[in-house]
Amino acid sequence: MTGQRSAWLLIAPLLLVLLLSFVVPLVLLLPTSFQEYQPGQGMVAGSFTWENYLRIATDGYYREVVLRTLALGLGVTVLCLLTGYPVAYLIVRGHPRWRLPLTLLVIFPLMLNLVVRSFGWIVLLTNRGVVNNLLIDLGLIERPLKLMFNMTGLLIGLTHIYLPFMVLMLVAALQNVPRDVEAAAATLGSSRTHVFWSVTLPLTAPGIIGGSILVFVLTISALVTPRMLGGPTYQVMATLIYDEYMQLLDWPSGSALSFALAASTLVIIWLSSRMTRRWAGMA
Amino acid sequence: MSDMKPTLPISIVALLVVAFLQVPVLVVVLTSFSETSYLTIPPQGWTLKWFAEVLSDPVYIRAIRNSLILAVSSTLLSLALGVAAAYALFRKAIPGSEAITALLMAPLIVPSVVIGVAMLQYVTLVGLRGSFLVLIVAHVVITVPYILRSALASLSGLDVSVEEAARVLGADGFTAFRLVTLPLIKPGLVAGALFAFVTSMENVPVTIFLASARQTTLPILIFSSVEMGVNPGVAAISTLLIVATVIVLLLAERWTGFHKFV
Repeated sequence: MTGQRSAWLLIAPLLLVLLLSFVVPLVLLLPTSFQEYQPGQGMVAGSFTWENYLRIATDGYYREVVLRTLALGLGVTVLCLLTGYPVAYLIVRGHPRWRLPLTLLVIFPLMLNLVVRSFGWIVLLTNRGVVNNLLIDLGLIERPLKLMFNMTGLLIGLTHIYLPFMVLMLVAALQNVPRDVEAAAATLGSSRTHVFWSVTLPLTAPGIIGGSILVFVLTISALVTPRMLGGPTYQVMATLIYDEYMQLLDWPSGSALSFALAASTLVIIWLSSRMTRRWAGMA
Repeated sequence: MSDMKPTLPISIVALLVVAFLQVPVLVVVLTSFSETSYLTIPPQGWTLKWFAEVLSDPVYIRAIRNSLILAVSSTLLSLALGVAAAYALFRKAIPGSEAITALLMAPLIVPSVVIGVAMLQYVTLVGLRGSFLVLIVAHVVITVPYILRSALASLSGLDVSVEEAARVLGADGFTAFRLVTLPLIKPGLVAGALFAFVTSMENVPVTIFLASARQTTLPILIFSSVEMGVNPGVAAISTLLIVATVIVLLLAERWTGFHKFV
């Protein structure tokens, strides 16, 4: 099994599958996004228009959905970072005996079916749901809070879904912090807090950036949780694409939105990898 | 103070966050035993009737069967294709192997919903819409990066001279791979296969565009039934999925020390 020829034979089947059922379908989506769409008639054959892309930037409704998606991505990323850092810190720096059970408890929700986790949040957040009933029974509120079909619900649900990814990235970063650097700073008279802010935190920057990019990209492309917790009216980019393909049958518009979404994730990933590479070069 | 152990407040916050991660799971399990036809905590009375109802519903049974067939076949296919490709890449006999790896991992980066609509349009174009084979291939595309990643990681930790020793002792290439290399990378492959299986089992964004009504999978069924409102049947089937996941995870942890591969 040596030599270039046998290596190509080994890799060819997978390459062929990916070419035919991933690359080609994506490429074929591109012409669709430049076609005109007539409601009731479908795509106009042979037409060419920039309209589908222009609409994303100019139409008020589309712009609202795009901005909401980006705001959601940002919000979920910040929440994951703030809640994930203490967990990662406890896993890496806490008592070694806690390490395995804590890690397993963080991984466990990740392995559970996404639909099941989102369903759990519906049970919790719906108008007559667990959270509202509890708050009413405690006398804290009189009427149920609106926790679903809005930003609140999506923020809570998606933070829960993507938090494990953030924790795992931060754990890896914290493990790479050399303990003697911290010890040196402490010996030189730094307080605990100061050591953390000036040594530990900056040294975990690669993990923070990596985890943030991952969570942001996953959040803006999420379909299942936003649809289940946001319903058909509170749309984000992925749910709008879904509706344009399955309900409105406006494929040109849906494919333009698909490219906009795919392009933004690719650009973000590309920029971040360039950024981290430049940092690595400076160090 | 040279030691950077977490302070008590940090530990408490961290434990609360870990508890927060388990809340939806606990809620789903608890509500599935309630006698009421609405979901409530604490459950009113204890009953197994929702489980009986779901497990005697042919729609659910078919969805479970579809999901399992799809997940098992796409995982096995991904394993075969992915391990072969990883081995070729590992041997570095191919020019441009970095670009090829990037291409093979690309389905992780492109949003699933985009892969879904692209495949929908493609299969409509070539007239394969509604074929179960299309669904399997689509799941291979989205699961193979996990196999590839774990196979490449396991292979890179491998001592090449072990396999070469086998070759010197007269084993042909495939025998050396099967008897020497494969056993060494097996724990990593089991972990990768488990990720692939889980990914296939929970996929909605690709499946929903490709599956016909008869090919509906379990997550699609739950996803679309929730649009009609929540009911204890969904909680019951979710509880069954949770139990199945726990059992699989415990077995994987026992066999391979699964948490090391995450």
